[in-house]
Amino acid sequence: MSESPQKSGVGRLFRRGPWEIAATLFIAAGVLMLLQPFALVLYTYSFITTLIGVVMFVIVSKFPE
Amino acid sequence: MNARSSTAHSVVEPSLTSRRVASVLVIVYAFVTLIPLFWIFATGFKTPPDSISYPPKVIFEPSLEGYCNLFTTRTRQTSEYIAQLGPPEGICDEVTRRREMVIAGTSNYAPRFINSVIIAFGSTFLSVFLGVMAAYGFSRFKVPLKDDLLFFILSTRMMPPIAVAIPIYLMYRELGLSDTKLGMILLYTAVNVSLAVWLLKGFIDEIPREYEEAAMIDGYTRLQAFRKVVLPQATTGIAATAIFCLIFAWNEYAFAVLLTSGDAQTAPPFIPTIIGEGGMDWPAVGAGTTLFLIPIFIFTILLRKHLLRGITFGAVRK
Amino acid sequence: MSKLNEIADRAAGATPPSLAGAVRGLSDKSIAWIFIAPTIILLLAINIFPLIWTIYLSLTNYRANRPNAELKFVGTEHYEKILTNPDIWAAMQSTAHFVVWTIVLQTVIGFTLAWLVDRKFRGHGFWTTVILLPMMLSPAVVGNFWKFLYQPQIGLFNYIISFFTGAEPSSFEMLGSVQLAPWAIVIVDTWMWTPYVMLICLAGLRSIPDYIYEAAEVDRASNWRQFWSITIPMCLPFIMLAVLFRGIENFKMFDMVNLLTGGGPGSTTEVASITLKREAFEKWRTGFSSAFAIILFVTVFGLANIYVKALNKVKSR
Repeated sequence: MSESPQKSGVGRLFRRGPWEIAATLFIAAGVLMLLQPFALVLYTYSFITTLIGVVMFVIVSKFPE
Repeated sequence: MNARSSTAHSVVEPSLTSRRVASVLVIVYAFVTLIPLFWIFATGFKTPPDSISYPPKVIFEPSLEGYCNLFTTRTRQTSEYIAQLGPPEGICDEVTRRREMVIAGTSNYAPRFINSVIIAFGSTFLSVFLGVMAAYGFSRFKVPLKDDLLFFILSTRMMPPIAVAIPIYLMYRELGLSDTKLGMILLYTAVNVSLAVWLLKGFIDEIPREYEEAAMIDGYTRLQAFRKVVLPQATTGIAATAIFCLIFAWNEYAFAVLLTSGDAQTAPPFIPTIIGEGGMDWPAVGAGTTLFLIPIFIFTILLRKHLLRGITFGAVRK
Repeated sequence: MSKLNEIADRAAGATPPSLAGAVRGLSDKSIAWIFIAPTIILLLAINIFPLIWTIYLSLTNYRANRPNAELKFVGTEHYEKILTNPDIWAAMQSTAHFVVWTIVLQTVIGFTLAWLVDRKFRGHGFWTTVILLPMMLSPAVVGNFWKFLYQPQIGLFNYIISFFTGAEPSSFEMLGSVQLAPWAIVIVDTWMWTPYVMLICLAGLRSIPDYIYEAAEVDRASNWRQFWSITIPMCLPFIMLAVLFRGIENFKMFDMVNLLTGGGPGSTTEVASITLKREAFEKWRTGFSSAFAIILFVTVFGLANIYVKALNKVKSR
């Protein structure tokens, strides 16, 4: 995504960019946890991690750019 | 294609040797990649013993037995019985009798193939029809939640087919749509419409709005402008989209194998079930596969300029 | 997502969308809805309604082969069972093996091919079309005829391998052996989908403007240097796009694997979709399999979000 000019104050907290990256990281982590062969416990919590990422993604897509 | 012209930018033009090496490597890859296709095509013209001989026969006497077996069902008879029959009618009769069998009837391949045609064309027509309208709507008007709707439309195509098949199976059972062509057409339309909307939106976005505006100033209504200005301009895009939808519906297997068993079964779930005496009848499979793939070859050649667009949902245009 | 819009709008020209004066008959707003509504309604009926139904079923003990049995709510029990079940975890690892190796092989071979085709030798357009053929075919039909090529005694694949290595053609079974079967499906998928990666990489290579290379030439950067500091970074968004899409597609792979191995031998190639099919349509544990379907769906939906982000990134090029 392109760099939009920085907004000041409260607007900055709810900018989409960083939140979207966080959501992406959650989804990526969830998928890796689902597919990894190392620990059952990671597999167990993979779904909830992905779900958090997806919900986050849906919410932050409403934030201003 | 020739973005880098050879005169002005000679600096970045690859050298002759590197071009030669590249062409050799690419052609070798192309030949290797064609071996499986060639093999299945050749197998269609082998006799069953030739098809399972060791070492594999590259040179063989061509036979139509595979194609005959593909379209017929046969029963084994004693040689006395066959001897007292009249002269064989046609080549298939002759080939079959040589194996001490007689043709008992027609196989299910032809009806399955026709099902494939009906379902593929039906769903393509519907999805392009719906797709072109929705694409125009998204391209030209301010629609609330546009991005969310577009993403929602795309995400439906990404769903795992088996996951969708569970509730669809139950729903179709309730509605009496199980194993009907209508049911399959609706289902494939739902899958294809997402691709159609995205692709067509890309094509319609490229048609300048000024054309319609000029038409509307000349007294056309919005709908007339859509029909008489936008649609003719979008013909190529519509054709390319239609071919993509056709290919998907033609190739689809997961829904077909889970939701159909007879009346509406398409060719992909049928071809793997072609068996002869003592295992798969590979020449018949080869013949069935060849006939099934020929339309795809033609479509691929027609589509080659738009392939990139199709596989990236219209995002990459060149 | 609104990036997409902006680009679309920019492409379509900066004219205001509603030309109130010129419109007669239906208003633009109603036309927009009349045009979009049928698609949305169809998708709601065939995708969203079933999805909600699946979520509901995943919380019950429903079995499709016993529709009249008493329906019991079991809460999130199915989810807990699936996410602690080592067998299903193993299916996920089979899926991972398939996804990771197909992506690695297809990216390496696909990018190399794209780079070679971009040398623009004579006839490169024709050969590109030839190479693209496999990806247009039906995965089910492809799976079926590769099964023939993989036959231990009579198959062409075994013959070619033995021709080059000297091993007995009947000494190994690509589909019947626990060690080889996971690789057999990787090979077929790579054969089929490398062209896909190639095509997208080619678009990436062609999107690099010449002046960047010219500037590098002026700076006397070596070819090697140019490749790693210009070609690869500039292509990366395209490679990401291809990798994500292949990842999603192979994560839910069903047709080709079902025909090649059906999940066997044992459950060595039982990828997620095959497990799901077995649970849903062979054991008829509808509630349980619905929960599994939701888990797969959420994963794919998450990846699809990232994919669309990648799409927009490429689109703005």
